[in-house]
Amino acid sequence: MAIDINKVLKTFGITDVNQGVSTGNDWFDTDGAITSSSSPIDGKEIAKVKNATMEDYEMVMKKAQEAFIEWRQVPAPERGEIVRLIGLELRKYKEELGALVTYEMGKIFQEGLGEVQEMIDICDFAVGQSRLINGVSLQSERREHRLFEQYQPLGIVGIITSFNFPVAVWAWNSALAAIAGDVVIWKPSSKTPLTALATQKIIGKILKENNVPEGVFNLIVAKSSVMGDNFLEDRRIPLFSVTGSTVVGQRVGGIVGKRLGKTILELGGNNAVIITPNADIKMAIASTVFGTVGTAGQRCTSTRRIIIHESVYDQVKDSMVNAYKSVAAKVGNPLDENFLVGPLIDVHSVNNFKNSVSKVQEEGGKILFGGEVMEGEGFESGNYVMPCIAEAENHYEIVQEETFAPIVYLIKYSGEVENAIEINNNVPQGLSSCIFTLNVREAEKFVSAMGSDCGIANVNVGTSGAEIGGAFGGEKDTGGGRESGSDSWKIYMRRQTSTSNYGAELPLAQGIKFDF
Amino acid sequence: MIGKNITIEDLVDDYPFSVTFLQKKGIKCIACGEPIWGTLEEACLEKNFTQEDIQQFVDELNTLNKKQN
Repeated sequence: MAIDINKVLKTFGITDVNQGVSTGNDWFDTDGAITSSSSPIDGKEIAKVKNATMEDYEMVMKKAQEAFIEWRQVPAPERGEIVRLIGLELRKYKEELGALVTYEMGKIFQEGLGEVQEMIDICDFAVGQSRLINGVSLQSERREHRLFEQYQPLGIVGIITSFNFPVAVWAWNSALAAIAGDVVIWKPSSKTPLTALATQKIIGKILKENNVPEGVFNLIVAKSSVMGDNFLEDRRIPLFSVTGSTVVGQRVGGIVGKRLGKTILELGGNNAVIITPNADIKMAIASTVFGTVGTAGQRCTSTRRIIIHESVYDQVKDSMVNAYKSVAAKVGNPLDENFLVGPLIDVHSVNNFKNSVSKVQEEGGKILFGGEVMEGEGFESGNYVMPCIAEAENHYEIVQEETFAPIVYLIKYSGEVENAIEINNNVPQGLSSCIFTLNVREAEKFVSAMGSDCGIANVNVGTSGAEIGGAFGGEKDTGGGRESGSDSWKIYMRRQTSTSNYGAELPLAQGIKFDF
Repeated sequence: MIGKNITIEDLVDDYPFSVTFLQKKGIKCIACGEPIWGTLEEACLEKNFTQEDIQQFVDELNTLNKKQN
């Protein structure tokens, strides 16, 4: 497919300068800073966005509060119907939105399409869930009493997304929030505002056609000086879902926690693949290369470490280097489907990559492949790097950190699988992990209580590329939040326990006598 | 003019040379590809720099900015 970006921008009504505040179908002219969005592919400015002021923020907040009063009374299956229609509309614009994701963020077009598919998938999931919001009925200790739990709408959900999944993460959160009866305020990454604008325009039509109140799906493009700590401190927002770095998550957790608000924190990972002597090495390599270089190493779940048994270490090392030699010819413009690895988001990320390549060597590591910044025709933006493989040890300071770029560390282990699991767990983060083995004992140990301490622990499946059906998130410095599938919907709701007395007596719990 | 209350986001956007300058001081402005939250002062205090250190950084950044222009 030949992608005409100007046509894509026109499809979404994106002009040179765009409004950045919307309450659903309505858009507002604002007087905040005018910021620009550039493509990491060629460094060219795509378009400008008018940011919000404090007054705009207050206006949206008021609209969201009003909308919640109305939206929470709409039956959940009716709310699900709106989400179903949003999913259908996303299907219509899958290619265009996928292309814009690619152009603004830099992931390859196939992954851009995959991102929009995730939006569609979570809409489908949420539609089903809208008829499954349930609670339990329990046995009361008192006669003629009924004890039950139910889930009620929570209120306004603040959603702060990152550049690497500029629209899918919004969908994960807002589809579930919407069927839960909540309303959302979305603050997108300052690096990818245009995909947010496009998404809002796609759903705006559905909201208007179906008389969804303005204020259910809100978007605010704003600088952190306008929507920063004050956003997090705002007691009108009971729940924040934040995707970003551990350092940002610590700030969010501190501020929202201080007012006893709820958070879903989706933070950094330091994800490892364990390859045991019993692995299908060919499968392990194929899977791991996608994990290390996919999205140019800019996924939260990108593979950062490969923990390899000493008996197969050289074989894996050679296979990885050979695979990277093939990948080397496929670094380039992500809109061109001949390429598999696009650019990093900006020059700062390139510098971080370069620093990590230097630092691992300073600490005693050895570069086996790549590590250079690409130059020449097609790489003029300065954002393209050659994916790097380095031999390292787990205790290195740089290995303990997450570098948001395509650098992977090979780490050798000896003895039993427990030793590999110990290395896997011996980092501050705990998002994703996996083991490649055909040995059931090794596999079961890895997913047992004594196994991986990560939120995601796979067997013969790599660290990245999760399905929406499972709950997504991690432990330790990854923040502990869960979003997307399984029972993640519960955090978007207020849990309520009720006791109902349908008798003529008034017995107290625990048999307490209180006669007067 | 750069002051200690400037947000890291604005520093990264408007004075991109600051990222390398501060990185050399052990202050990371970018994490997971995004600017960290908060002000220059907060980022410095997080790394246990004193108010005198912060003022010195501000002065040096403004000098660098003049050279850039």
